[in-house]
Amino acid sequence: MLNRREFLAATTAASAASAATTQPVPKGKADACIFMWLGGGAAHMDTWDPKIRGDGKKKAGSYYKAIDTAIKGEQVCEHLSRSAPLLDRAAIVRSITHDISGEHAAAANLVHTGRKPSGTILYPAIGAIVSHQLGPKSEELPAYVVMGYPSIIRDPGFLGAKHGYVYLTQIETGPNGLVRPPDVDLNRQDRRETLLGGMRDGFLKRNASDQTVQQQDAITKSAYKLAGPKFLNVFDLARENATLRESYGGEFGQRCLLARRLVQSGVRFVEVSHNLNFLNGSGWDTHNEGQLNQHLLIQELDKAFATLIADLEQNKMLDRTLVVVATEFGRPPEFDSGGGRGHQSLGFSMVLAGGGLKTGQVIGRTDEIGKQVVDRPISVPDFHATIHCALGIDPHKNLYSGDRPVPITDRGTPIADLFS
Amino acid sequence: MKIVFVPVLTVAFGCAGLAAGLLENAPVRVELYEGLAGGAELTPVGEPSYRYTEPAFGFARLPVKYSPEALALDRSVPFTLYAAYERVIAPGPHRFRLRARGASRLLIDGAEVVKTAKQKPNTSGDDPVPAPPVRDESGHRPPAHPHQDVFVNFNGDGKSHKFELVAVIGGKGLMPTPGELAVSFAAAGQIETLLGPDGSPHLTDAAWEAHVAKQDERHRLGDRERRLEASREIMAKWRARHQEVRAYYQDRVVAVPVATTGLGAYNAIDHFLNTRIKAAGAAPQPLTADLDFLRRLSLDTIGVIPSGDEIRAYLAQPAAQRRAMSIERLLGNPGWADNWVSYWQDVLAENPGILKPDLNNTGPFRYWIHQSFADGVPFDRFVTELVQMEGSVHQGAPAAFAQASLNDAPMAAKADILGQAFLGVKLGCARCHDAPFHPFKQKDLFSMAAMLNGKPMKLPVTSTVPLVEGGRRPAVQITLKAGESIEPGWAFADLVKHDETGALPGEGRTETRRSLAALMVSPRNERFAQVVVNRVWKRYMGMGFVEPVDDWARTKASHPELMQYLAREFVMSSYDLKGLARMIFSSHAYQRRPIELLPDSQMSTANRLFTGPIRRKMTAEQLVDSLHVAVGKKFECEDLNLNPAGDRPPAQFLNMGKPTRAWQLTALSNERDRPALALPIAQALVDVMTAYGWRQSRQSPSTTRDDGSSPMQTLVVANGVLGTRVVRLSDDSVFTELALRDQPLDKLIGEAFLRILSRPATAAETRTFSTLLAPVYASRKVAGALSNYSELKSDNRVSWSNHLSAEATLIRMEEERKMRMGAEPTKRLTKDFRERFEDTIWAMVNSPEFVLMP
Repeated sequence: MLNRREFLAATTAASAASAATTQPVPKGKADACIFMWLGGGAAHMDTWDPKIRGDGKKKAGSYYKAIDTAIKGEQVCEHLSRSAPLLDRAAIVRSITHDISGEHAAAANLVHTGRKPSGTILYPAIGAIVSHQLGPKSEELPAYVVMGYPSIIRDPGFLGAKHGYVYLTQIETGPNGLVRPPDVDLNRQDRRETLLGGMRDGFLKRNASDQTVQQQDAITKSAYKLAGPKFLNVFDLARENATLRESYGGEFGQRCLLARRLVQSGVRFVEVSHNLNFLNGSGWDTHNEGQLNQHLLIQELDKAFATLIADLEQNKMLDRTLVVVATEFGRPPEFDSGGGRGHQSLGFSMVLAGGGLKTGQVIGRTDEIGKQVVDRPISVPDFHATIHCALGIDPHKNLYSGDRPVPITDRGTPIADLFS
Repeated sequence: MKIVFVPVLTVAFGCAGLAAGLLENAPVRVELYEGLAGGAELTPVGEPSYRYTEPAFGFARLPVKYSPEALALDRSVPFTLYAAYERVIAPGPHRFRLRARGASRLLIDGAEVVKTAKQKPNTSGDDPVPAPPVRDESGHRPPAHPHQDVFVNFNGDGKSHKFELVAVIGGKGLMPTPGELAVSFAAAGQIETLLGPDGSPHLTDAAWEAHVAKQDERHRLGDRERRLEASREIMAKWRARHQEVRAYYQDRVVAVPVATTGLGAYNAIDHFLNTRIKAAGAAPQPLTADLDFLRRLSLDTIGVIPSGDEIRAYLAQPAAQRRAMSIERLLGNPGWADNWVSYWQDVLAENPGILKPDLNNTGPFRYWIHQSFADGVPFDRFVTELVQMEGSVHQGAPAAFAQASLNDAPMAAKADILGQAFLGVKLGCARCHDAPFHPFKQKDLFSMAAMLNGKPMKLPVTSTVPLVEGGRRPAVQITLKAGESIEPGWAFADLVKHDETGALPGEGRTETRRSLAALMVSPRNERFAQVVVNRVWKRYMGMGFVEPVDDWARTKASHPELMQYLAREFVMSSYDLKGLARMIFSSHAYQRRPIELLPDSQMSTANRLFTGPIRRKMTAEQLVDSLHVAVGKKFECEDLNLNPAGDRPPAQFLNMGKPTRAWQLTALSNERDRPALALPIAQALVDVMTAYGWRQSRQSPSTTRDDGSSPMQTLVVANGVLGTRVVRLSDDSVFTELALRDQPLDKLIGEAFLRILSRPATAAETRTFSTLLAPVYASRKVAGALSNYSELKSDNRVSWSNHLSAEATLIRMEEERKMRMGAEPTKRLTKDFRERFEDTIWAMVNSPEFVLMP
């Protein structure tokens, strides 16, 4: 007799199989992803999709000059000058569209999980899905690392706490739970583990036949491997060449350098948050005066992105590392009364780079001021499907929440042009 | 201006809600006025809605308003606080200070002498952070942002004067709380005291905090007293109903099997279990050791490990009685309520948000759960109140359960929750289609939802499976169309029929909700009591008779007679959950050594013999609370409030207060990923809880947590911020005091084992730790060093209105950095000894023995 899950798997597989034959999905070869998160909603016409110049007041349009890029005939904003010549390694998707523009949390959740929440089920974030599908490379490494604040948009949802992330909020603090407290050096840690070993042995002996105790003991013992020197050395950025460190730039750049080191060591998915809103007072959520110093944010992004692409290439990692620049929505070409911009979700840009994709292209178009998508609308599920395919994951595959089958993406179609 | 003051004693009891007992007899008379005409808030006339008294003019907490059924209610927006007191002012110049967040006025002898301005709602996020508060030369507590301090000079003449304060509390777009409303005064050059009799608290940080803590405690008890008073009438009706229920069950006796020879038995539970154990040729586990029993019982009743004092008291009792005595003592402990809150938060999907509504946010009905268990509300009344969904949303009455923000069919979500919680029917799949593995159709769920709705419900487009043209056919059945209207109805006639239920005590606004409650808690609906019994059994014994406990559609009970027996006992005891718990704790079965039952074998009812309780792990809440108890440290956390300025309404920013137990934590809601919205102290607690299966967002109900072992569980305690704080020998650690005490080293080691692991050290363990500590023990004390404990505090200048500013970001990032350093180590112990002893504590806390229940 089939159990519930097998029954459902069988019935849905039958229909999925027919779908699969009509819609084969490309299978990329990337094995890791660096997901740069521009929280707050980055203005596409001030970054990746420049338009006619506005004046910061009545006249709508871009706030900055545009410059040429390595993609023939395509421009980006002048503050992306380091990235522009490297954009043949990237694809700019200028036609992302969804319908949540009112609320940051809801839109950020959509862009992370690929779905609107249903209330009957908690959907996992893309980082959790990728690490769940690709698995950790060794027990000495976590599969999923977040540099930013923990929140449900990044959570593993129904995949369960063990597919959660290790996080850090600032580079200097290191990953939560994995770094020894500042006053515990290696000698002290050894002493602690020796004492703990004695406690464990005694407990195990007194409960020799209890498998729950054995299991708990084994986990306790193995956990310290994860916090071992192999992984923690990754966080020691001082091991990198000083010139390289400098070219990455400030805190965000250093996070990107750390992301490269994490991927190099075998981490599958690293989310790097660009949430340093003290640079312009509002982060990417550039209402009102936030607009005035937005160029500082863009320049920091530019420095970090360009250096990361070059660095990955230098280390022969670019083809197997997908770099994503994502944000919850874009912003309208018009200016608000304070000279900043509101929210716009119906047309905005995200970027994919490396990952073995057919780069050097622009996907989709918005109209002459960046208000509407006029060519090839790409939904969030489509964008997710593209990421999954690049990483060799079938976006139509079912995951299970208890008995309930849940496809990895909500009927997302990968952007075929990006796969050869 | 004329203020009508009615002397307290002339008011007939109850008509204006006279404060009972605890809130009477203090010198300052206080009145709360509601529903005053716009513009008249500062000149209240007519009858106050409530009168009570305070010891002095410092108002941080007001009494909760209760309905006749003892549910919290909201006051009008805004409402007015009036306080009056007469006293002699000594001859000479004096200065009076009025401190308020919003509009207020101070009157002396009937004339206004000074006033503060109205607080305005603020929708900004990028205001500048106000300058740090300046402390004056006398060290007065400075006003917290955005409070106003205004002053007036007054020449005392040795005569009595009347002082009156009128303050507007809350308003549209504001928090309905008083902030730090206060009047203080002093003779020139003296430190101010709060207005009140001589000896009232000074306006200094320490004295104000002590005053607020006392006020908090007094009101907590006073609120409880008024709840019990308010529910006197309704309880009498429930008692009458329970008489009828007992009459119905009187003859439906479940025969108890005769005792099984040779197998230990303390009560009827054991006779049922032993019969099966014997028939299966199995052997029960031996009894646990006494101290293991105490640790298990303590976690199961009050949610924390026993304290050192608790253990000593236990061991001092005669061995033959100590178990029974500890059951009574712990069942009477207020922690009983704390330990139940988290369970029902999961099962009932309690999901409040502190930052703007997110999907399926409810109000914080945790407070109502807590008070129901603290007040000993019978369980059928608990469920009835829940289903009726009345009272205040933001203060966490059952109306808070009705909320499901951003959900287009909230009552469908609630029907599913109630079905799983109390009927063992899982209707979740039927939200969007007929359930594929259950005998439920979508209509069953929506007709129950319509009962909660009070009128027919339309099926939302989003609650169906879209048929894509040319797409595949869904693998699920759909028998309702989007937009179809569904009448209120009861689809579970096999459990109980509509015309079989009697009327419920009390009143409710929605007739169909009352019908639903009546169906659910009807004595003829035997499923109800059985589901509750099964849930409680699983909580204490590790597995239910029926599994899963929330989905009975396709499963049988392992011990149907015992379950029926317990269900009858539960009903006969007037639905007293504590009585049920007492019966289980008193059984031989519960008091045995644990058995391990691995997942594969667990599902088979035949394998479930309950030869002992199944080995369990502490829950996330029990772990976090117990870590604090083990080292005798206070639960530290900042206010769960992103709007300390109070200039945004509770519907957008809920103030969840300062937690003192883990269940009071909530989702920290930093989806915006902004450093200035971080709550670093709470985050350290949430990190541990999350690793142990606590869900920060409870969008849907669940009973069994995903707390499977993971390396992060180990590491987050071993290296994390909370673990470090717990282990640190700071001046608030009980182990710092114990280490300073003159006693033999072995005794100190023994004390550590007792407090952390609830057992004495083995000889080998004593040897190990004494080898470590002995070389530095004699010289451990640092002469002349002083205690230097200070609580972690967050800067309350940072609020939503300025969180986008660079300064707010930098303030929070700095706090986060400081917090990671952990508490200041004590200076009274040498570094070498301190570190060795910290490592001792660390090894005990991180041993798997700590988190696995004995």
